[in-house]
This record gives sequence, C-alpha cells and structure tokens, in this order.
Amino acid sequence: MKQKLRLVFLFSFLLLSATQAFAQEKEIKGTVTSKADGLPLPGVNVIIEGTANGTQTDFDGNYILNASVGDVLVFSFLGMSATQVTVGESNTINVQLEEDAEALGEVVVTALGIKKTRKSLTYAAQDINADELNKARQTNPINSLSGKVAGVNITRSASGVGGSVKVTLRGNSSIGNNQPLYVVDGIPLSNPSAGQPADTFGDVNGGNKDSGDALSLINPDDIESLTVLKGASASALYGSAGLNGVILITTKKGKSGNFKVDFSTNLTVDSPAYMMDFNNEAQKNVDSFLDNGTTFINSITASGGTEKAQTYFSYSNTSASGVLPTNKLKQHTFNIRETAQLFDDKLNISASVMASTQNIKNRPVSGLYFNPLVGVYGFESTTESLSDYKVYEQYDAGRNIMAQRWFRATSDIEQNPYWILNRNVSDDKNQKLLTSLNLNYKFNDWFSLQARGTYDRTQLAFERKIYATTEATLAPANGRYIVQENDFTQLYGDIIGNINTNINEDITLNAVVGVSTTRSTTESFTGDSGTNGGLQFANVFAYQNFNANPSVAFTQNSYEIRGSSIFTSATLGFNDKIFVDLTARNDWTSTLPEANNSFFYPSVGVTGVLSELFDIGEKVSFAKFRASYAEVGNGFAADQINPNRSILFGGGVNSVDPIRPFPGTTPKPERQRSFEIGTEWKFMDNRFGIDLGYYNTSTINQYFAVPVSTTIVSSGVAGLNAGDILNSGIEATIFAIPIQKDDFTWTTTVNFATNKNEIKSIANDGVSGLIPTDFFTLSGKGVNTFGSYLVKGGSFGDIYAQVVRRDSNGVPIYDSGALIMNDDNTVDGLTKVGNANPDFTLGWNNSFEYKNFTVDFMVDGKFGGETMSMTEAIVEGFSNNSARETANGTVNVVDLGGSPSTLSVQDYYGSAGGRNGFTGEYMYSATNVRLAELAIGYNFNLSDNSFFKRIKASLVGNNLFFFYKDAPHDPNISLSTGNALQGVDVLGLPSSRSMGLNINLTF
Amino acid sequence: MKNLNKILTFIAVIALVSTSCSDLEDYNENDRNISEEQLEVDFQHVGSKYKPIFESIYQYTPAWSYQLQQNLNADVYSGYMTNPRPFVAGSNNTTYALVSGWNNFIWSVPYSNVMNNVKSISELTEVEYPTLNAVALILKVEAMHRVSDVFGPIVYTNFGDLENAGTYDSQQEAYNAFFADLDTAVASLMADIDSGRFTEFDLSYGGDYTKWVRLANSLRLRLAIRISKVDSGKAKTEGEKALSQSLGVMESNDDGFYVNGTLDHPLSVIDNSWGDIRMNATMESILVGYDDPRTDSYFDTSADYEGVFKGVRNGLPLLPGYSDELAQKADYIGFSTMDASVKTSKVQLMTTAEVYFLKAEAALRGWSGAGNAQTNYEMGISTSFDQHGASGASAYLMDDVLTPMDYVDPVNSSNNASALSNETVAWNDGDDNETKLEKIITQKWIAMFPEGQEAWSEFRRTGYPKIFPVVSNQSGGTVDTDVQIRRIPFVDSELSTNAQGVSGAVSQLGGPDEAGTRLWWDTGGSNF
Repeated sequence: MKQKLRLVFLFSFLLLSATQAFAQEKEIKGTVTSKADGLPLPGVNVIIEGTANGTQTDFDGNYILNASVGDVLVFSFLGMSATQVTVGESNTINVQLEEDAEALGEVVVTALGIKKTRKSLTYAAQDINADELNKARQTNPINSLSGKVAGVNITRSASGVGGSVKVTLRGNSSIGNNQPLYVVDGIPLSNPSAGQPADTFGDVNGGNKDSGDALSLINPDDIESLTVLKGASASALYGSAGLNGVILITTKKGKSGNFKVDFSTNLTVDSPAYMMDFNNEAQKNVDSFLDNGTTFINSITASGGTEKAQTYFSYSNTSASGVLPTNKLKQHTFNIRETAQLFDDKLNISASVMASTQNIKNRPVSGLYFNPLVGVYGFESTTESLSDYKVYEQYDAGRNIMAQRWFRATSDIEQNPYWILNRNVSDDKNQKLLTSLNLNYKFNDWFSLQARGTYDRTQLAFERKIYATTEATLAPANGRYIVQENDFTQLYGDIIGNINTNINEDITLNAVVGVSTTRSTTESFTGDSGTNGGLQFANVFAYQNFNANPSVAFTQNSYEIRGSSIFTSATLGFNDKIFVDLTARNDWTSTLPEANNSFFYPSVGVTGVLSELFDIGEKVSFAKFRASYAEVGNGFAADQINPNRSILFGGGVNSVDPIRPFPGTTPKPERQRSFEIGTEWKFMDNRFGIDLGYYNTSTINQYFAVPVSTTIVSSGVAGLNAGDILNSGIEATIFAIPIQKDDFTWTTTVNFATNKNEIKSIANDGVSGLIPTDFFTLSGKGVNTFGSYLVKGGSFGDIYAQVVRRDSNGVPIYDSGALIMNDDNTVDGLTKVGNANPDFTLGWNNSFEYKNFTVDFMVDGKFGGETMSMTEAIVEGFSNNSARETANGTVNVVDLGGSPSTLSVQDYYGSAGGRNGFTGEYMYSATNVRLAELAIGYNFNLSDNSFFKRIKASLVGNNLFFFYKDAPHDPNISLSTGNALQGVDVLGLPSSRSMGLNINLTF
Repeated sequence: MKNLNKILTFIAVIALVSTSCSDLEDYNENDRNISEEQLEVDFQHVGSKYKPIFESIYQYTPAWSYQLQQNLNADVYSGYMTNPRPFVAGSNNTTYALVSGWNNFIWSVPYSNVMNNVKSISELTEVEYPTLNAVALILKVEAMHRVSDVFGPIVYTNFGDLENAGTYDSQQEAYNAFFADLDTAVASLMADIDSGRFTEFDLSYGGDYTKWVRLANSLRLRLAIRISKVDSGKAKTEGEKALSQSLGVMESNDDGFYVNGTLDHPLSVIDNSWGDIRMNATMESILVGYDDPRTDSYFDTSADYEGVFKGVRNGLPLLPGYSDELAQKADYIGFSTMDASVKTSKVQLMTTAEVYFLKAEAALRGWSGAGNAQTNYEMGISTSFDQHGASGASAYLMDDVLTPMDYVDPVNSSNNASALSNETVAWNDGDDNETKLEKIITQKWIAMFPEGQEAWSEFRRTGYPKIFPVVSNQSGGTVDTDVQIRRIPFVDSELSTNAQGVSGAVSQLGGPDEAGTRLWWDTGGSNF
C-alpha cells in the first residue's frame, strides 16, 4: 500500500509547474497597520495575486513593490485576515488588517485544519470564540459549551473539580464510545480515560471513579476558538475517530510586533446546592459535613515576535478544594508555541509543547463503596450528631491499634465518613504532554504541502491507601493498598497536499490529498493487595508488604492500535454561488481481521448561496441551502478479535474465556450513514438570522458483546456485528441583535435541538447457532435494581427499574409484609420506566454591552426525559432520614386478594427503598430549566500611556438556580461519562452552585 | 527539484513512523496474556484448565460469587445455615421472594468455569490421553448433577453444540448422560490405573487414579440412590454397578473428595468478615438436641449468649420493631458462627461417611453388594466422628434417649418452634424402613455439613431431616410453606438469551417454571 501512496504523491508533484508572464509595471508604496490598535505591522506579506512576486513590510510597516494597474495585491499576515486591493492610478496603497478573530464568522476551520468560507460549507458547523467560552470560566472548558451550540448535549460528571465531561452530538449511536473526537490545531487529540463507573453498587476495587479526561488537562486560556462539526459529513475526513462528530480546538499562536501579556485570575466559590429532601436532623448533619468549595485559577499568557519568528507562552495554575471535605486539586499547565517563516516565507514552521500535571486528593466517588455520603446520609441517632464522629478512631487494646469508630457496626457499604476521608485516602496523579511539529511549504500560489506530527502522552495514576479496621468487604484485617497506572501514548503523522486553483473563470477548486498514520499504545498496571489477599503488617502501603497469596492482584495489560489512511477531498465552487464537496477515505486498521481490515467510505455535499443565485430582496442579507450524505467506517478497540486468556497472580490461567467473536463469524468494520439538510438565513444587515437543520444517522454493524446463553458460549457473551441504531433530529439556531447603538448592544441567541433515537435491531438473525436476542446490557442490574439496556424498539438511555405491581386502579399491591413485583413485560426482570435523554433542549444566550459594562446570561433548558434517585431509595431503605418518612403520611395498598389497607409512609418506603428495592418508586421527570451562567463585567477606562492595555473585571456565576426542577438531584450531572449509569443518581456528590470573581489584565 | 527532494524526505520520515499494512493484525494482541502456543509448554494447555474446574464446583473466589451460587440458597434451604441480615428488607431467596439476580450465579458459575474447560480438555485428550479426559468427566458429573438438582432440565449433552444450540436435556436424560460419562471415565482409568499423568494437576488425590475410580463409583451410587424412587430399575442397575466395581467405593476418610485450593474457603469471608451467615435453627435443634460431639467442630458458641450454640430461624422477614436490615442484623450477628475447621482452604465435596449412609439406604432397598444397613449406618457415624476428630462415637451410637430439641429465639420469641422429630440416634432393627431412613438421612445430613447442596437435594427426595419452615413465605403462593421450596426457576440470563431452550425445558419439567414445582426424582410419593 505504501507503494501506491508514493505514486499518488509523485503524480501530485509532477503537476507542480507555474510560469507567469509580466506586464507594464510601476512602483507602489504604502504602510500596513493593524486596525485594532493602529500600530504598524512588520513582516506582512504583499503578493501580486496569481504570481509568486511579492515583498514584505519592514519594521515600520512600509513596503515597496512593482505592479501594474489592474493587478490585485494580497496583504496577508499571520493571525490577520488577508485583504486584497486592486492597483489603480494611485502609487500609494495603505492598508489596515483586521485580526482573524473578527473574521471568524466568515472563515471556518474544518477537518484537518482546512479553512473554508462559511458559505461554502455543506454541513452544520457552529463555532465559539475564546471570549464567549470564558465568560463564566470553568475548569473544564467543554463544560462551557452547554446551551451554546445546538445539538450538543453536555453532561457533567458528579466527581467535582477535575472531573470529565460527557459530550453527545446528535444523540447516542454507539454501544462503545459516543464522545466526539477532539482535534487540536488539526490533529486528533488522544482523550483516553482510565475508566468510567458502570455499576450502581460501586467498584469494590477502589470505588466508582471518574478518572478524568484530557480536556480537563487543557488550559482554557490557550483556546482561541472551538468549532463543533456535528455530523459525519463534517468529520468524514477524520475517519472512524470522527464518527460521533468533532470538536476542533484552535489554540492561540504568537503574533509578530506587539508583545502582549495577559493575566487573569479567577476565584470561584462552590456551594453544595441540589440534593434530596432530608428531615431537619439529617439535613443538619449533611450540612455540617459538606464544605463550600473554592477554585482559584491564575493564568498568564505572553505572545509576540518578529516578522520571521513568533512565540506564544502560557502558564496556568489551578488550586481547588472541593465541596467534599479533604478533596483537593492542584493543576499546572504550560504551553509554548514557536512559529517561524523561512525561505522567503515559503516554509512555515510551527512547533509546540503543552504539558500539564494534575494532582487530586480524595476525588469523590459515586455508588456505595468507599463513598462517605452513605454514612452521612444514613446517620441516625437521637443522642448524637454526625460531627461527634469527626473523631473517627479509638484505641483498640486487643490489637494495639487505632480502630474505626462509628455509631453502629459498619456494614459493606457504610463506614464512618470521616474515616473514609482520612483512612481510605485516594490520590490521582495525571499528566499530559502534547508536542507537535507542523511544516508547511508553499510551492506556489496554488499548491502547498504540509507535514505534521504529534506525540501525545497521557499518564493517569491512582492510588488508595486503606487502613486496618476498614469494613471487611473492602479490606482485610491489616488494610489494603491499591495502585492503578495507565500510560497512553499516541503518535500521529500526516502529509497533506493542498491545491487551491481556478479551473476556469467560473469554477474554483480546493482539493486536499493526504496520508496519515496513527499508532496508539496503552500500558496499564494494577497492584492490589485485594479484599482477601491482604497485607503482612498493618498500615504499611508498599508492594513488598503484600501477602504472597493468589488473592493479590498484579496485572499488566498492553494494547496497541496501528492505522493508516489515505484520503482526499475536493470542493468545487461555481461562481462562488454553488459549492460541491466530495471526500473519500480508505482506512487500514490493526483492530480488524486481515480479511476486513481495509475499508473505504465517501461523502458528498452541496450548498447553494440562494441570496446570490436569486434576487430575493434587500431585506435578506444572506441565504443558503445545504445538503450532504456521508458514510464512515469504524474499526474496533484493541484485542477484540482473538484475545487470549489472562493469567491470575499466583492463580494460574483465568478460568473464564475472554469475549471472542461468535464462533464461525468474521468481524467487519462498523458503518455509519448520515444524511443532513439545512438552510441559513440572515436579515436586516445580518442583525437577525436563523440556521435550521435536519439530520438522520443510522449506525449499523456495530460490534456488540451480545449476551449469549452460557450453554453455547461459556462466557455468556460473544462479539458480533449487529444492530441498527437510528438517530434523527432537528437543530435550530436563531440569533438577533435587537439593539445596536453606539453605547448599548444587546445580542441574543437561542439554540434548539431535538433528537429521536430508535433501536431498530440488536442482533442479526440467521447466524448459525445464535439464538437471537433483542437486548444488550449497558449497566446490568447485578444485585441491585437499576438497569440500562438497549432493547429492540426502545431508545438509547432507557432506564429499567424494579416496579411495584399495581391493581387495575393503580393501587400498589402489598401482601404478606412485602410489596409485590411487576413481572409483565420485563427485561432482565426489570421494567422500563423512562429514558435519560431529553426530548428537546433549549439554550438562550444573552449579551448586553452598555458603555463599559457587559452582562451575559444563559438559560439552559432540557425538556422531557426521566431520572432515578437511587440515593433517595437507599436513604429510605437504610434510615428514616427523608423528609417524607418523618412526615407521617399513609399510602393505600391492596393485597393479592384485592382487600385494601393503608401503610404508613415510613413502612411503605421502608419496603420500597434500598439499593435493591422498588426503584420504580424513585423516578422523576428530568425536565429542568436553570440559570446556567451569569457574568457581569466591567472594562476599565485606561489612558493611552497606561501601563495596562486593558483591565476587565467580572462577577460570574454558574448553575445559579433552577427555574424548574422535579428531581431531587441535578439531572444534568451524570455518574459516568461513558454509556452506563445514565439517568440515575447513586449517591453522587450534590451538584453545586458557584459564584466567582474574574480579573483580566492585558499589558 | 530541490523542493521535491525535501518532500521525499518528509515522506521517508512518515514512512518510518507508519507500518506496513499486511502484518497489522500482529499488533492487535495484548502480550501480557498467555497464548495457546505459550500454554503448550509443560502441557499447560490441558493442565491449567483443571484448577478452575476444581475451584468452581463450589466456587472459591470471589466469595460473594459462592454466596450467590449456593450459600444464599441451598445452604439455607438445607437447614445448615442462614443469614442474620434480612437482605432486601426481608424479601429475598430465604423468604422465597427469589432474587433472580442472585440465582444467575447458580447457573453461570459452572457453565463459565467448568463446562467450557472440560470441553476444551476433552477435545485435546479424548484420543491421546484418555485418563486425563476421564478425570475431567468425573469432575463434570460432580459439578453438573448439582446444577440439575437445582433446576431440573439442564443443557448437558448439547453444550457448545451450534447444531442443537441451547437445547436442554430433561433431568432423566441428564442423569443417564451422567451415568454414561462415569462409564467412560471408569473404563479409561482402569485401562491405565497406575499412570501418574495427572499428578501435577490434581488438587484432590495427588494423581492417584485408584481414588478417582472410587470417587466415580461413589458418585454413581449417590446418583443411583437419588433416582431410586422415580426409576427404581435404572437405580438398582447403576447402584449395583457402583458397588460391584473392582476398586469399590470410598472406604476410609482419605478416600473422601476434597478440593485443596490455594485460597481460603469462601465461608471464612462470608462468615467472619461480612457476618452474613450463621448457624441455622434446625442445626441447633438437631445437633444440640443429640448433644453431638461434632458440634464443636462445626460451630462456635454464640458471642452474645455465652457457652451456648445458637442458631437463627431461616426465612426471617424484616421483623416488626426493626427500622432496617442492619438493626435486625445487629441482634443476630452474635449467634453461632462456623468453626475455623470448616473454613480452611479445603473444600469438602463428598465424604466417605456419606458413602456409608448411601450403602445403608441401598441395603434397605435390597441392592446387592450393599451389605448390612445397621453396619453401614454405624460406620457412617464413626467415620464422620473420625473425620472431625470427635470422640464418644460408641456412646453416641447407643443413645436412645436424646432427641432434637425445641428452638428458642432469645431476641424474638415469636420465632420459637417446637422440635420436629422425636427420633433418637440409636439403631433399632425392629423399626420400619421409614424410621430407619429418617435416621440414615438425618445422620447423613449431619455428616455432609457444610455441603448444603447435597443436603437440600436429599431433604427434597426423602423429607429428612425435618427442617423448620420459613417464618415468612413471600413466594406469592407458588411455594407451600410446609412442603418448602422444591427448585429454583430458570435464570434470567437463560430466559433472555435462550428463550426457546427454556420453553423446551419447562415442558420437560412437567409443571410451571416455579419454585414449588417438583423435579423428576422428587416424586412426592412414599419413600418405599
């Protein structure tokens, strides 16, 4: 295959030839200045269009060159939008260049970093610049997208500061990964996760943890803009990784000339705000336990340079303490980027290094194990209060040890919460290093060649030290030590030829031909003295202290994925009014069997600028129509095709077979087919506009781990290409500038999206020996009673619960001292009770500028969908701490024979509650409308000779209050940013309201 | 052309980074795992598969898996043990509100750990090393008759067969297949009885094939006795075959079948660490009633009531007066725990004492080669005493005074219960067969402790010993409180992945797929 690629390139190079003739010339002079500050710009390229002739401005922004009347001079400068001027009679041409940020609305960065004019796009893309993103700054920049882009659904993780974010573009389609691809300056970012919770019970091996994501390791101040490419059409060039859409991150670069320093400081206070309704006593205990969290972020960026070389540098420092006592985060990020133009500006070199470190102590967990909230919410005493147990240990003479102290015997899930915080301590240490090199050589005005490479490494380390006298389900008598380390490395390289030319007077061609290669490796290690293995001596946390016994785990795993691709794309423009976009890509991947490891997929799109094609009146300033169709193929995760058995430390070969393809089948790539149409209209000098789109995406041949009878495949699961999941929806963005005066501007934007998900099939019929099933498990009920399943005819995100059987009048049936279970129409013994995804979402952004003041607020609404509070079920099952249990009401019930009686609320919910009780009684509507962001800013007036160029101070608030909410918890929070546990709260950390102060200084 | 050279340099760099496409698959392997080729060294591709079989018949680890596989069903239904904590607010297996999420493990543990490995061993050894295959077959019968004794029909002959995927055998077909597999195993072992081929992989008998043949014969006798009421002809044929085989059945305690695992007995975790299981009231009534010298080896005296063995009534709901499960558990956790000698790394699956009691019953049924019923009965008791290092067997054998005693719950007197039997230990040749059978099965029940699966099966077949009924029956009418639970319904994982197979199995079951439906060998009729 490499041979073929070389041929493609050789052909491309043979096409390189450019000769030009010269006409009568005269000398043109002028000065180029920056429109923003009026300062002269050195190093601006001035080129006569269609030739290789040109010059550069000197240090004072002056230039001289020879040109003829009628020639078009192109002034271009890094970070500025290019300007064209036609040479006329005058011999002096002075030019002001505008910064790119202002031109952002017109030029969109698309796949592979290719810039296109907005009007030529054949698919939906929405972008957000840095200012907008950071108005109400959050530690994870992606959190700020919620409500700002139509069709982007953001779910924050319940794990507090440093937590990851679940982003879904246009609904869930995959049983594997539904997160979009993040691309930094054209290159895919490795965004690995060491794991996401999948179990309501919690992980006995250290607790249900969100191990964070790469985005939380990026400094939001380094981001210049974000572009969201929602559909496969937009991302077809990224191949399989772009299946779920792409978020393009453009980072800041140094600019020549003016040296600029920005400093920003941000202090935020988080208060725990949204939790279930406790009775007064319990609430007092909860309040005494939880703290107000603080987040303190300082960031400094410096940029500047000469006409030949520019530097950008940033450093930021975050220090936070969480709402959960003892939860602390420290984070540093560095970023340095050098850009240079060599060989008469033909060669553009850009190199960058980004490094960040993050340390988190006691990252909050969800679920029941290692979760201090179990003890906090369940504490019940008439004589003592929870704070009496801040003294969490007492001397045990029998063992000569300080032993855990609690108001009753600890149980598998319940311990003294202060003991957990101080004697089950966890530490996360995460690091990311991203280095990249980009060389771009411009051969002539229509062809350039680019070569790029990145080395991207993420290391995630976790440690938990569990002291002796911790509850026996979690640790043996002498305590337990758990270490988990994950090291992800991604090497990426590509070579891309760019062609930009006119085929004739009417037709323009923008084309790209490229090859890319990726190699990702994952090395993981777990050392765990285990729940049975144990330590030789109490409270010494070191491997050499492990008992030599097979219950101890030392496990290494090593995975590698290699892939290569060849791709091409061409955009043909007809009179700058109609554009046709074609792409084609072929991937080779190591994750598929040899017979099926090469796969091809195309996309096609068309757009017409209606306002230029037809005369549709003065009032319409812009109108266009777009349509596109794309196919994308997808490989698998590593080691799915022929996995070997694992070895257990001191325990021989694992007795259970790993999940393998169903006997007799050969796995093939997954496929996604998507179609979208849309239209965009702007009116009244662009003061009012609407963008409306419809899409339809079907994902077929996903590689499922299909449940199979253990009598056929002994592990009970087998891999099979199966399933057909359909997403369709409508997205709309309406923006308006209702007021635009010299000292007062009001801008408002509404983003609307609705997505319908339908699971058309799960397993394929007709596979020999397979008994077709119609469901697939995302979170199994295990020994609890919440489940998340993909069921034929259902939707992604369906929630299943154990439901009380009711008579024909809907009265619960209670017989022989117990509620009776519904057993009609169940999946895995559970009944469908709702869906975690909203029917539609609405985000309303407003921005007011009055003189030096700016006020921004965003109302974020999610309508429809359901959520389960297993928190409430557990609290009511294990205690009488809920407000309604104390309120002494009654509930009407009937027995199996139909005779009615009443039960006290306490008895009813005592029966229904518990982690494995009737969770169907704990369902709530997930509809909510909240004031998501509020920022009030002030720009100080500065004299021209002030040391500072700009001072801005803002008061910011996030998640301030709910206009409407039914659920006891914040339904926008999720226990997992994976596919499991959607729509259930199992003792997640209560969501907080945050308020803060932000100061930006530029000098 | 200068530029072209530069470009070609870029390509060369990228080409170095990238790889050739044809060998891509080679990268797709986690080389920290062990491949089949690597396993072939020292014949571990066969040998390594025995350990998981041995350790999953009664699963060692994780302990909660065994808890769900057997401890929260058969170990309780047999009257051996019960849970001090009323899980799920008292609505759980032990009160007949069957928790399907728990019971999945009764099914999945043997299929995922035993059947697959036996199949793989058989494929590799059937022709070349028949004795290795023989051992695997014996282990398979031991593991799977327990599964059939819980559910009835099981997938046995069609396991892993894509042509007849998921098709169940009726319990009768399964038992016939067990006998046939034992025939194959015994014939293969007899042909090469002195071979030491299995020594390295044997967690029970140190590679002694003679003992494996005795186990096969003893197992055959156990299965023959099990079907003696429903298919007396086949039972007699198979029973006599076992008794007449040249190497015989188990005779001394070192013939007993134990797995010497590398981990602690799962009961140690469930009992000591979690406090999730305690002595059953029936056990207290019988052992303490007979003043049985083995009691000390089975249980410790209660932590809350000094010097007293105290059991918990089975089938407790969340009792009135307790706000939650933990409050109720706090009152019962101080009752008698298992003794440390029960919880070593040795898991007991078949004792020699049991075989003497099987022979005693075989004698009652007139099978040739069984010997004298009384001799076997008394040998059973004294063998069991020897096994536990208990003294006073001869006095115990003669005791015609002591009977099971009334049960008193010191915390909640509503759970008190009168003794269910007034039989003594001493054998009286003048008794009728039914009385003799009660004595045999009661003593067998004591001797088999803590293997609750076999004890529950024999209770269902014979009605002995008499076990206290559940305090709370939440079966919704599918189980009769006095008749007690007869089986576990087919599990959710099978219902959802093998609905056709299950529906065939239900018709073979001959009754609804409920916990009150009797299995094939559980005729409900008289014992003789």
